[in-house]
Amino acid sequence: MSGVRRIVLLLALALLAAGCTSAPEGTTLRVLAGSELADMVPILEEAARATGVRVQLDQVGTLDGAEQVTSGAAAATHDAVWFSSNRYLALQPGAQARIGTATEIMSSPVVLGLRRSVAQRLGWVGRPVTWAEIAAAAGRTEFTYGMTDPSASNSGFSTVVAVSTALAGTGAALTTAQAASTAPALRDYFSAQVLSAGSSGWLQDAFVRRTTGADPGPHVDGLMNYESVLVALNASGRLPEPLEIISPADGVVTAEYPFTVLAGASEQVRDAVRRLTDHLRTPDVQRAIAERTSRRPAVPGVPQTLGPAPVELPFPARAEVVDTLLTSWFDKVRRPSRTIYVLDVSGSMGEQDRIGRLRASLTGLTGGDPGSASRYRRFRGREEVTLLPFSDRPGTPDTVTVPQDDPSPGLTRIAADAAGLRPGGQTAIYDALDSAYAVAARQITADPDRFTSIVLMTDGANNTGRDLADFTAGQGARAPALKAVPIFPILFADSDTGEMEQLATLTGGRTFDARRLPLDQVFQEIRGYV
Amino acid sequence: MVVRERRRSGRRVLGILLALVLAGLLAVVLTREIGGRSATVTVSGVVGSEKLPFFADPDVKKVFADNGIELKIDPAGSRRIATTVDLAAYDFAFPSSAPAADKLLAAHPAVRTYAPFSSPMAVATFRPIADLLTAAGVVRGNTFDVRRYLELTRAGTRWDQLPGNTAFPARRNVLLSTTEPCQSNSAAMYLGIASYAANGDAVVADPAAGAAVLPTVGGLFRDQGYLPSSSEVLFEDYLAAGMGRVPMAMVYEAQYLAEELAPRPALQPGTVLLYPSPTVFSRHTLVPLTPRGDRIGELLTTNPELVRLAAAHGFRTQDPRQLADIVAARGLPPLPQLVDVVEPPTYDTLEGLLRGLGCPA
Repeated sequence: MSGVRRIVLLLALALLAAGCTSAPEGTTLRVLAGSELADMVPILEEAARATGVRVQLDQVGTLDGAEQVTSGAAAATHDAVWFSSNRYLALQPGAQARIGTATEIMSSPVVLGLRRSVAQRLGWVGRPVTWAEIAAAAGRTEFTYGMTDPSASNSGFSTVVAVSTALAGTGAALTTAQAASTAPALRDYFSAQVLSAGSSGWLQDAFVRRTTGADPGPHVDGLMNYESVLVALNASGRLPEPLEIISPADGVVTAEYPFTVLAGASEQVRDAVRRLTDHLRTPDVQRAIAERTSRRPAVPGVPQTLGPAPVELPFPARAEVVDTLLTSWFDKVRRPSRTIYVLDVSGSMGEQDRIGRLRASLTGLTGGDPGSASRYRRFRGREEVTLLPFSDRPGTPDTVTVPQDDPSPGLTRIAADAAGLRPGGQTAIYDALDSAYAVAARQITADPDRFTSIVLMTDGANNTGRDLADFTAGQGARAPALKAVPIFPILFADSDTGEMEQLATLTGGRTFDARRLPLDQVFQEIRGYV
Repeated sequence: MVVRERRRSGRRVLGILLALVLAGLLAVVLTREIGGRSATVTVSGVVGSEKLPFFADPDVKKVFADNGIELKIDPAGSRRIATTVDLAAYDFAFPSSAPAADKLLAAHPAVRTYAPFSSPMAVATFRPIADLLTAAGVVRGNTFDVRRYLELTRAGTRWDQLPGNTAFPARRNVLLSTTEPCQSNSAAMYLGIASYAANGDAVVADPAAGAAVLPTVGGLFRDQGYLPSSSEVLFEDYLAAGMGRVPMAMVYEAQYLAEELAPRPALQPGTVLLYPSPTVFSRHTLVPLTPRGDRIGELLTTNPELVRLAAAHGFRTQDPRQLADIVAARGLPPLPQLVDVVEPPTYDTLEGLLRGLGCPA
């Protein structure tokens, strides 16, 4: 027999050398994942040493990720998905056939973190608080908070589901009729939102910058986010004051992080996933996850250091309920937004069909593919949209308020404005921004209760009129309400990256890179922030 | 789509040549080896999730290894096993009920099937919940009265509406937590129980009776909203998260007993097992898809050590004394005599009820 064994060993070596066998130590799983899982990287690196299975996490938002799974695009580039929840995914037609085994690794409820002094003032420390009480206090503007865009990120999405379900008050999963509710308590709750973001990570950072005074803008008292994120933020030493974690007594929505292999995966992939998830579910690793990421262990018998799990609210199990809920939230419930799009139409925009791409990006926001998550990114009911083209000097702004019930006349006019953009002339960025702030000043005076932001799209450097130094000097003299208006610059073609970053930092905004991604996709991404 | 580490590519051509030569040799070697006792064959199966802990048990693996078998097990809901799972990758399927196995058999005829063990449906809950339900007339001793429970749910009663409830005043309907009935057998068995009670204590046997009970049984699932796809996930949530997330759950008796019989039970303090009246037995049925799969069914049924281990995992094996002895040896109270046991509806009737709940074909 020893001869036989030697042959088998030799063969194994030969196959290894040929690169056509799966050496256990050499497996890398490509995983589409939520951005907040970045904190799992050290644990995954340890898992790779223990199991030989490496994980490459590629970040994606929940709704976009679900869309990639159901369309089959995810399976072309990835082996598995690891979202905070498969609930939204499971509702999509055909999703079940696209996914294989799902293994829960850990959980974290979406809760409210509120500055301790504010929680104390409201009397919410050390006793159960209901969503109705929270909504009432929000309606009286006794506190403010930030949350992510529910069409881009699961924590925002879970918040909308939890608040709507709790306030419907029936004790059962929402029906379509209840999902369409615009009850005053719902509007009250969301009226206190003063910070939005397309990603959970940026939201946290912006919150820290606001509370420490590093960013201009109205102060923010709290955050709707995963318990794990809030506990980590408290432990980070970045906050001037700890957040009181308020888990409403009538219930929460919890993320349960199922590691999910995609259908059609090879036996090698399924085997690697099995080895990895088995490892992640061993008691020692579960304890490490609890200690280092503040998530709750999924495996029974591992101590729950964060206390008993809160009451879980029923999560709607029908796609039309979720669609109705989101549509109603964007068009009728959320605090409406006001966005001034400052658009470069200088001569260089005539090159390489840049102007065509700009027109198409704006037109895209007036419609949206009805079958895709992009339908939630279109200009929403009640939204106030201003297009301000500029070249040598600022052009004439056109402001459209999108009607709530039938948005089409407003959307048609925005599309017509976009189609009328013509390139020619120089690039006077800062004159245009001053003009945008003048527009904002008039609009805020007329209607102060809106999210106001400026989006700046330019393909080159400033070459006429005022410069960044002039603009920065002028910024100090603006009224507080105007200083709070962030600029979101889009880096495009020959943008001056340094100046654009400075503008974003100065005003509490952030840049978006349209040299790396298609311009229309960037315009959609920004929608989560305004 | 596994990305493999590439060894130094300069050796690849040589490696491929060597591999081709040796692959022929290996074929000869393997053919000889499989015939002998020392070789290990890998056998893969897709099983109802509640049997995962059994197959993951090192003692169970050892018995299979002693018989030259290494098992690769994937969990999936029983209805998915019977419908959407690609069975080409597997040597056997092991759904959790006879109706699901019947459906499988229609598409994958097997010479014989194996039903090595079964388990009645049970309600895993917590003492404060059992007390509340006792006061509400739903629970007597360890019996969960399904007929009284249906009266509560028909009225849409919430926990915080139960008189004198300070233990669990959740603004949530009084509902048993279940798995997704479109995918999972335990929910389908529960549908069998509830439809029996709603049908005036008779097994639903025709579409008219099915349509008549749907308004009552539909809400039991619909009002819960999103449901876990497998019994294993539901029971883990019950164990790990506890009362807030899962106040009471429809599970297999075996899941609860296996935990009680474990060396270090993960049951939280104050957990209680109740038996629905009526209840249904889930008969775990193995359908072989290859000769290797058939061997697994045979071993599970006839190997005394595997039969003993199945009982140690809380399953009722063909000889009821197996489980009774193990329970007694651990000093646990004897298992109750279940008298109000009914049959699940046939596969077609169950399928009709599931369609009525909105399950896709």
